[in-house]
Amino acid sequence: MLPRVLKRLLHQATLSNQSFRFMFDRPPDDDVVVIDCETTGLNVRTDDVVTIAAIKIRGNRILTSEHFEAVVHPDSEMGAEAIKIHRLRQSDVEAAPIVWKVLPSFLRFIGARPLIGYYVDFDIAMLDKYILPLVGIELPNERIEISRLYYERKYGDAPPNTSIDLSFAAILRDLDIPALAQHDAFDDALMTAMMFVQLRDLAERGVRIARQRTSPVFNPTGA
Amino acid sequence: MPKAFDISNPPFDRLASNEAETLRASLDVAYFRPGEAIIGRDAPVDALYVVIKGTVEERDEAGLLALLGPKDTFDSRALVHDQSGHAFVARDETLCYLIPRKTALALIKANARFAAFFYREISQKLDELANDEEARRYGSLMNAKVSELFLHAPSFIAASDTIEAAGHRMREIGSNALFVRDGERIGIVTGMNLSKAVVLRRQSIQTPVRELANFDIVSVRPDDFVSSALLLMTKHNKRRLAVHDGERFVGILEEIDLLGFLAGSAQVIAGRIDRASSEQDLAIAARQIEAQVRLLRRQGVKVEVIAEIVCDLNRRLMSRLFEMVAPAELRTSSCLIAMGSEGRGEQTVRTDQDNGLILEGPIESDALELFRNEFSGALERFGFPPCPGNIMVSNPAWSKPLSDYLADFRRWIAIPDQAAHMNVAIIYDAQAFAGNDQLLGKAKTALIDLIRGEQAFLAHFARAIDAFETPIGLFNNLITSEGSGDALDLKKGGIFPIVHGVRSLALEQGLRETSTDKRISRLCDLGVLRTDFGRDLKQAFRFMLMLRIDGQLAASAGTSGTLVRPAHLSSMERHLLRDALQVVKQFRDIVRHHFKLGMF
Repeated sequence: MLPRVLKRLLHQATLSNQSFRFMFDRPPDDDVVVIDCETTGLNVRTDDVVTIAAIKIRGNRILTSEHFEAVVHPDSEMGAEAIKIHRLRQSDVEAAPIVWKVLPSFLRFIGARPLIGYYVDFDIAMLDKYILPLVGIELPNERIEISRLYYERKYGDAPPNTSIDLSFAAILRDLDIPALAQHDAFDDALMTAMMFVQLRDLAERGVRIARQRTSPVFNPTGA
Repeated sequence: MPKAFDISNPPFDRLASNEAETLRASLDVAYFRPGEAIIGRDAPVDALYVVIKGTVEERDEAGLLALLGPKDTFDSRALVHDQSGHAFVARDETLCYLIPRKTALALIKANARFAAFFYREISQKLDELANDEEARRYGSLMNAKVSELFLHAPSFIAASDTIEAAGHRMREIGSNALFVRDGERIGIVTGMNLSKAVVLRRQSIQTPVRELANFDIVSVRPDDFVSSALLLMTKHNKRRLAVHDGERFVGILEEIDLLGFLAGSAQVIAGRIDRASSEQDLAIAARQIEAQVRLLRRQGVKVEVIAEIVCDLNRRLMSRLFEMVAPAELRTSSCLIAMGSEGRGEQTVRTDQDNGLILEGPIESDALELFRNEFSGALERFGFPPCPGNIMVSNPAWSKPLSDYLADFRRWIAIPDQAAHMNVAIIYDAQAFAGNDQLLGKAKTALIDLIRGEQAFLAHFARAIDAFETPIGLFNNLITSEGSGDALDLKKGGIFPIVHGVRSLALEQGLRETSTDKRISRLCDLGVLRTDFGRDLKQAFRFMLMLRIDGQLAASAGTSGTLVRPAHLSSMERHLLRDALQVVKQFRDIVRHHFKLGMF
């Protein structure tokens, strides 16, 4: 616990732009935010954010009517091609200024609320690339990892050697959530939000997700 | 804003694109755990809900009314009236879209067609649906392909052949038009061309057809739309088109067949029946009746009109067969009756024979026996399967003298059992199809007189409305295991309770009408049913009959066609089916109360 608290204090002290102090306010009770970024690839150092989406959840309500959505890199596919051919990252010239224009409102939108995501550490690492130079610190918010909530509900009591599937599709299937268009940051964030409200409820009620048995069950009726 | 919100799901399909955007922008999503109340009874309602996943129970004080599943919308009534009479409870983990009440009301105000969905009266909603359907079906008819039309097979003659040869060929192939081959040119010669040449121009019948054929022909392709064929005929002022598939001529399309396709050809079949001179002719016409149902339905003709047309054709068919098969003495001294749904005029797709014969007096049994078997056998060959309950002319119990029927009636009413109730129901629905219809009139008068005032009999009779549950329970299966073949028996759960409840009330009042629709109107006139409820009851009944026709038309041979698979219905239809079943439930309560069935 201690290092995290210390890091927080350190961050608060090193916050270069004091107008972002709200990042350390007490978050409203019951409020969390789901975030999702679309990126050009999976390498934090070389890839870029294409779109950012964030949706607030208040209690059991997913407030899609007040979501945050911004395109920071309007032409991602062409951009990726451009990197290979010109060895020049188009985003360096184009995207970065947009990110910096968009980030303040994004930070205000999420405030100090806990951040939820599917492999949320990756999304936050991507964002921190831009947030660090902007405000002098990394995102201090508490993080909630969806795949971990799912793991606890499904595999928390699993015997060793159980094969584990934490894919996004597997979670959707188990929770019976309809797949939306997908791979659009907003739809991914919305599906993640739907997963969260249900997984949180299952945890509160102590309900587990059934695991498929690997060996056939003996059925005395023969049916 | 959730782009995934399905705007094609009724009633949202009625929104203009800017309205749809407003709606999407206002949406939130809510999660409910199992057992959690989404809307409390008589609680204020601040949103319209559309189910994303899960199952929602709709309850009133008496218990479960319906189960709602993905894409179902609730509670439209509460939205308009500010609070709900019903409670909505999540049955399992449920996610819903929430449309804020303010947004929904603004859209209702701005868009009349969208608003129609929220009207309280089911009959208004049903009318809306009917209008939508009409447009859709008429469209589909014009979008049919030329190859679906009746085409005359192509037959070629040489341009040097004579008028005489052409005339003979036309008679041989039963067509009024032939293709004429003149070197490279292809033309058409018609029967009218031949007659004009000979009669008006006094040309010799040895004249080559080259001189009268028309080489200025217009062609269509088999995969052209019916609408373009119609357009070509109008534009070129042609009564027939050649059908050419790109390689060769495949047929001739006559204007009359095109118009027949668009207008239906019930009157043509009727004429064919009336002119039939053999059982063979009747068999051909009988087969065409079946095809009419499909066509009329596709044209968007209302279900009660289809039933009327089909009933009329069946009546003509049986009456003509009766004239052919029955010995002369039988034709005036007996009455052929159709019973059950055929008698009520509610049969559309053929189910089985339900008919009988009332004789004026005893008749020599050999002749009668011969007639019985011949008549029922012929109908079977026409495609009317024998009645499983053996209620048909071939069964002596249903073809006997009037006095024997009257004795039966007295016995049925004095010692009623299950069979007695069924028999009363069957004969009360009977309609005279041929012969002396006064015999049926006398039988019915006697039946009604015997039953007048027999409240205990009537109450036992009416009790059959409770024989089958309203299939609300089956909704459960449809929602929880969508598409796995769960079906709902519309006949038992919806149609039968209405038919029988109305029949019981009509019998008590001694009404002579046989159709459920007309009986309801008369019961309203007499004040037995409230007029507005009568209207809802009729609409619910017609709607379920329509679903049944569709089911029957879709059903492959061998199924009864009374099962409706709610998973295959649009969510609008499911919504209306629920409303219709609600009306059935209310009607049962009315009948139960009327006959004091609570005593049993």
